[in-house]
Amino acid sequence: MNSLRRIFSMVVAIVATSAALCGCMKWEYGLVEQFRVTGSGLFISNEGNFQYGNATLSYYDPQTKQVENEIFYRANGMKLGDVAQSMTIRNGIGWIVVNNSHVVFAIDIETFKEVGRITNITSPRYIHFVSDEKAYITQLWDNRIFIVNPKRYQITGYIEVPNMTMESGSTEQMVQLGDYLYVNCWSYQNRILKIDTRTDSVVDELVVGIQPTSLALDCHGKLWTVTDGGFEGSPYGYEAPALYRIDAERFEIEKKFDFRLGDDPSEVQINRAGDTLYWINDDIWAMDVTAERLPAAPVISSRGTIYYGLTVSPENGDIYVADAVDYSQQGMIYRYSATGEELDSFYVGIIPGAFCWR
Amino acid sequence: MRRLCYIVVALCLAFSAMAEERTVAIREITVVGRRPMKEIGTQQTKLDSVALKENISLSMADVLAFNSSIFVKSFGRATLSTVAFRGTSPSHTQVSWNGMKLNNPMLGMTDFSTIPSYFIDDASLLHGTSSVGETGGGLGGAVKLSTQPANAQGFGVQFIQGVGSFKSFDEFLRLTYGNDHWQVSTRAVYSSSPNDYKYLNHDKKENVYDENMNIIDQYYPVERNRSGSYKDLHILQEVYYNTGKGDRLGLNAWYINSNRELAMLTVDHGADTDFDNRQREQTFRGILSWDHLRKNWKVAAKAGYIYTWMAYDYKRDLGNGVMAHMTRSRSTINTLYGQAEGEYYIGNKWLFTANLSLHQHFVESRDKNIVLQQGGNGILGYRKARPELSGSISAKWRPIERLGLSVVLREEMFGKEWTPIIPAFFIDGVLSERGNIVAKASVSRNFRFPTLNDLYFLPGGNPDLKRESGWTYDAGLSFAVGKSGVYSLSGSANWFESFVKDWIIWLPTTKGFFSPANIKDVHAYGVELQADLDVALTKEWQLGLDGSFSWTPSINEGEPRTPADKSVGKQLPYVPEFSSSVTGRLSWRRWAFTYKWCYYSERYTMSSNDISLSGKLPPYFMSNISLEKTIPLKHIELSAKGVINNLFNEQYLSVLSRPMPGINFQIFLGIKF
Repeated sequence: MNSLRRIFSMVVAIVATSAALCGCMKWEYGLVEQFRVTGSGLFISNEGNFQYGNATLSYYDPQTKQVENEIFYRANGMKLGDVAQSMTIRNGIGWIVVNNSHVVFAIDIETFKEVGRITNITSPRYIHFVSDEKAYITQLWDNRIFIVNPKRYQITGYIEVPNMTMESGSTEQMVQLGDYLYVNCWSYQNRILKIDTRTDSVVDELVVGIQPTSLALDCHGKLWTVTDGGFEGSPYGYEAPALYRIDAERFEIEKKFDFRLGDDPSEVQINRAGDTLYWINDDIWAMDVTAERLPAAPVISSRGTIYYGLTVSPENGDIYVADAVDYSQQGMIYRYSATGEELDSFYVGIIPGAFCWR
Repeated sequence: MRRLCYIVVALCLAFSAMAEERTVAIREITVVGRRPMKEIGTQQTKLDSVALKENISLSMADVLAFNSSIFVKSFGRATLSTVAFRGTSPSHTQVSWNGMKLNNPMLGMTDFSTIPSYFIDDASLLHGTSSVGETGGGLGGAVKLSTQPANAQGFGVQFIQGVGSFKSFDEFLRLTYGNDHWQVSTRAVYSSSPNDYKYLNHDKKENVYDENMNIIDQYYPVERNRSGSYKDLHILQEVYYNTGKGDRLGLNAWYINSNRELAMLTVDHGADTDFDNRQREQTFRGILSWDHLRKNWKVAAKAGYIYTWMAYDYKRDLGNGVMAHMTRSRSTINTLYGQAEGEYYIGNKWLFTANLSLHQHFVESRDKNIVLQQGGNGILGYRKARPELSGSISAKWRPIERLGLSVVLREEMFGKEWTPIIPAFFIDGVLSERGNIVAKASVSRNFRFPTLNDLYFLPGGNPDLKRESGWTYDAGLSFAVGKSGVYSLSGSANWFESFVKDWIIWLPTTKGFFSPANIKDVHAYGVELQADLDVALTKEWQLGLDGSFSWTPSINEGEPRTPADKSVGKQLPYVPEFSSSVTGRLSWRRWAFTYKWCYYSERYTMSSNDISLSGKLPPYFMSNISLEKTIPLKHIELSAKGVINNLFNEQYLSVLSRPMPGINFQIFLGIKF
């Protein structure tokens, strides 16, 4: 037993020594900050890196030119999640769609504090409010649009999309005109859906080009979408991208504006008046909605930047462009006047992809 | 701390029941002074059988983390674990098993969690330039794994049963038979666990609502690792025949059947019962080998075949119990392998070697089923074949006993593309015979071809990628002193510098997928220190200490991607600047106590090295201990072992949003006859 005691003493001594050497790793969490913002402002959702859970939310005050980063974490003491896709505001509540976290967070847009969340959604992309008690959430890798009750944070039903499988399911951005909602179907898709919001069903669909990326509604009741044309080698097809003007009521293509094969247009946006379109195609382009041909020159030229997100101020028409840099560091937002003069620039989070005006 | 003491006491008392007051021989302590011709100027870390056979539940990823200074990036047990030398990426580490490449030709990297350490009898790490003698493409280095004949006489059986926390079970069986000519061995490992360890999730909070759905409270939940279960089966069959006249024939066949869930992120708000995220793999590797040895020359040939089938399924419950596929990805790899090598000594001053190996890959990747525009289904994927030929010749010269010189010339062909000649020069010299102080230096060029996914994956593959290229310089000192049977002390200090051009990185595109590009030039440099000590404290007590330390700045020296780019001149993300490991073994009679410790400094998660609240990977220390007792009886040997992992119950992360288990326990009972 003496020998056993000796080995035991030796073991305890070694363990105790190593404990003294190691100490404890320091984690700081649980701290929250109090925010109270007023006036107009701009939320920027930063996707973060897929599978790393480092999405963040930034807030920019155009008056003071002050930016606050990681506001969701700082106000709530927790992470926003994995791939923040988009944000929508309704009645003082900001709804942040976090794609690979299967969640939509609701936050108070003055304090940034969470007020609720809708969970267990397949792969949410965008949220659109039909009423205070009904909203739609589009999906990637699901052939259903989720119907939710935002007041109860509950999934209440689904809109089945015809001729779409789960594996190549994709519904994206939504705009509403009257009782009808229009949705572009992007990944390995080529159509715009028309949904009757009274019956929650797809009533019509319109085939456009390969992979319509985004959707906007102008002041004349015309829908605008831009396709990316797919990619070389895709069994779905590869073609020159195009910008489409669609009459929403008749649900017919009125005009197709062709880009060159290999171009990469995306992010169709519209100003508050609904009379000028903007999009990214390496540079930033603007076009009157009544134009009959694509503009010859961009409004803002690329400066070696990798433009990833775009928005136009509803107040003064300033153009905000997100540069994702190398996709693994803080992205940069450039603010330009409507005529393309640089007014400000500021760093936000990793891969700034979407904007939301307060 | 008190809890730990109780555990240690309990382990000691449990084993004391089996204690015997019989003195047995301790491991022999020897000092090796002679430098083999083959190793002139090389920087090598050899892992001994004590490290490799320490625990049946360990993968090679665990062994490397605690016994070397290379960086192991792990998502947890039985999940993807990659290693990286000297601040390079996992695909810059070339891995071979009995000469055959283990690097996945589609991905370039090797998942070390799929290599049970109990299947490896010999492992060595070839740092930087030293890898050129074995293979090309190892811009960081190479890991050389091999099996050896069991040296059995008659029949032998070994069985070990392991039981651990989180309902983990590990079974290991080895059957051996041997005589003067034949050595036959069958090894099998089966590991399974729900792997649902608890952790405090401080990445998210749970809400408590009132009846009007107002949040009235929030708290950090204690969660379980969700959807992290695994079932891994490995079987290894070996047959060796030795003519006794200088010829040896060998057969190695390794079968893997793995079924692993991919655990949910800490920030996942989905219900684990509604999603199924799973990876399955079946791999067979077979090698036939022939060695023909003569007094001053040797020839050897190998032929082999690899079959790998991998499936990735991501499913969602539609609400009616039907799990629908969101992603259904399949890939199949068939590889034919052949190798021939020769060695020729002229006296004891010259050694010439030549080596030629061929891996012919046939790959089929089916990543996604889609509905085509015109109707019907289409599959997104690719089917490609690529030969990978690598040949080298070397001359090693030792004009005087204190000086060695070596030159290696290698050339590789991937597909139809040839590398320029890859040269490597090595020199070593004995500065002092008294302390066996040896100075070493080497320089080499190297290239790495893009992987098949880099070139052809749909979507995103980039057939215009250039191969990566690099120069590496090494210089160092080593020493070895000791007294046979009393103590041995050896150590080395090595400085290295390497430049990699056209580093391939996958980046997102505006079309929603990732695509690779040659975008970085990287300058990695630093220092590697290593020391090993074995001391016979008394006739019955023996102490062993192995330690390593690395300082590896790995700096992006490319051009700024955009005017806002802050990454130039910064450390690469996920590469620790400092890492260290120490293993201590204290043995007394048939008892052995092991303490393993490793350390990684903070890893940046952004290329700009900015620290954010949402992307922090603090430094961590990890400590594991074990206590083992073997009991030799007349015809059998019994063994019992208790292990405590993560001794101080640290909350730590190796990868963002992937929690690692806290303190956990394992018990192993073994029988051998």
